[in-house]
Amino acid sequence: MTERPGEAGAALSQPDGVDGAPLSQPDGVDGAPLPDGLPRDASRRLAALEDRPGHKGMFTSDLSVNEFLLIKEVGFHPLGFVMGSSIYHLGIQTRKWSQSQELSKLTEAMYQARELAMDRMDAEATELGADGVVGVRLDVNYYEWGSDTAEFIAVGTAVKSEDGRSYRNRHGKPFTSDLSGQDFWILMQTGHVPLGLVMGTCVYHIAHRGIGQTLRSTGRNVELPNFTQALYEARELAMTRMQDEANELGATGIVGVRLEEKSHMWGDHTIEFLSLGTAVARQEGDHTIPQPKTIISLDG
Amino acid sequence: MTLRDEVRQAVAAVGSPAPHAGGAGGAKGTTSDLTIDETLLLHSAGWEPVDLVYGISWWSIPWGVWQWTTGEVQEASTAFTGAVDHAAKQLRQSCEQSGGSGVLGVEVGVRVSSHHVSIELTGTAVRRTGADSHRFEFVSDLSARDFVLLTRAGWWPLGLAAGASFVIAPRRTAREWAAQQGQNVELPNLTQALYLARERAMERMQQSGTALKAEGIVAVKLREGRASSSARVIQFVAIGTGVHLRTSAHRTVSPELVVPLDEQVRAFDVKGLRRAPAGRRSGGGPERT
Repeated sequence: MTERPGEAGAALSQPDGVDGAPLSQPDGVDGAPLPDGLPRDASRRLAALEDRPGHKGMFTSDLSVNEFLLIKEVGFHPLGFVMGSSIYHLGIQTRKWSQSQELSKLTEAMYQARELAMDRMDAEATELGADGVVGVRLDVNYYEWGSDTAEFIAVGTAVKSEDGRSYRNRHGKPFTSDLSGQDFWILMQTGHVPLGLVMGTCVYHIAHRGIGQTLRSTGRNVELPNFTQALYEARELAMTRMQDEANELGATGIVGVRLEEKSHMWGDHTIEFLSLGTAVARQEGDHTIPQPKTIISLDG
Repeated sequence: MTLRDEVRQAVAAVGSPAPHAGGAGGAKGTTSDLTIDETLLLHSAGWEPVDLVYGISWWSIPWGVWQWTTGEVQEASTAFTGAVDHAAKQLRQSCEQSGGSGVLGVEVGVRVSSHHVSIELTGTAVRRTGADSHRFEFVSDLSARDFVLLTRAGWWPLGLAAGASFVIAPRRTAREWAAQQGQNVELPNLTQALYLARERAMERMQQSGTALKAEGIVAVKLREGRASSSARVIQFVAIGTGVHLRTSAHRTVSPELVVPLDEQVRAFDVKGLRRAPAGRRSGGGPERT
């Protein structure tokens, strides 16, 4: 991010309403873990993937052939398709019609449910002895039978480096990354290693406008400061949280950041801002990136 | 010609071996759903398309299994496995009949209703150009392009690996439901039920890969959604292509960095927020005052 309009112009003062109550980071999965960590069936499935005396293991992967070849190209071997999921009941929070505010309870729920899913995926990868998980996808499913419930899923392909070097991050956990095989290959060419998937989320209620405001802006070209501020603030919160996660991993940067806005099931004025990216760090040593060849295809 | 005659003729045509079976001549007609590019690429790797082949199988599911069980519906999973095996066998027969030695680009159609599972596999049979005999080698849902890339790296497809599981989501008791209202909590029973169902589908896929003597399964697709008429019944289907290494070691493909110059530049992207959260309402009319 290069320029913040809030700082550049006087039109938009930094909103200060929400700073008062910073969101506490949900600390891990302590809330409600599955009774015995990974389900037994999961361990059994993963055990069947590993090489043991008298048993030839195999790998599974949802990577396409291109991605598979590129992962091999940078010296990694896929180990297995790993996943984690959590069905979560989202709490209720009252929102004031005319007030823009973060809904911390819902934010916490979105955080915690995703963390639960990702931690389980991590646990599966750790069980396989992986160095990392690539091509991670985070999805949210809703089922007809569950009101206020959603299923959070994380899936990816666990990989291990073939030269025996460990790529685990500073917490001793396999790195996670939502980069595709292609992006992963390019990233490694530039001398960076992924550290982990980082995210920040913020569920925000955007105030409705009053009659007076509506009338005053009718037929005129004006900025609507309260909407602008609310959306701006929510995005900033989400991105700041993502950056905090990356700092905590000792990252030098975040690549492939996506900012998603979803209303899920909360109606028009309540939006979740989710920013997701892969935290990366520079490796020692010189890396020269080969000069790319320019091509023009004939089928354009 | 009556409809019946037409059908009879079609059945006879399908049943008879393809005219070019075993022959080396490429002049005879071939049918394939490959694109021109793919056909060209396939030729460059020493393969050619032969015919469009298919395998279809329907398996019945006994009455009542959806209503009276909770948790996994074993009968449906068994029917699925049976149907896939049978359809794959048919596909193989159909391929051998047409003189091909492998099937590429297999489309997998899965339909599950309350009383039966149907599997439809359609793909293009291919064979080595210029070879006299064609031993059956593989079935794969990979595209021709993927196949060429994979074989260049030393890996060969073996067959389709598939697994499924069907689960009836457990209900919450009234007490649980009441306790959860307004709370941020995980629902452990439901989580576990769906987690296990997903794991089982993948485990079965792995088993079917092991049966193929595969060293790995690539391009796994996990499909999920409701099965049958009840929303509580959820199906998980995992399908991929089992592969093994034919050469002594993986051959690197050494990609090159290129910058296509013909890509369209996207300068400014105007997007409509799906549910028009705020700014959209600025236009004028006091909609919600």
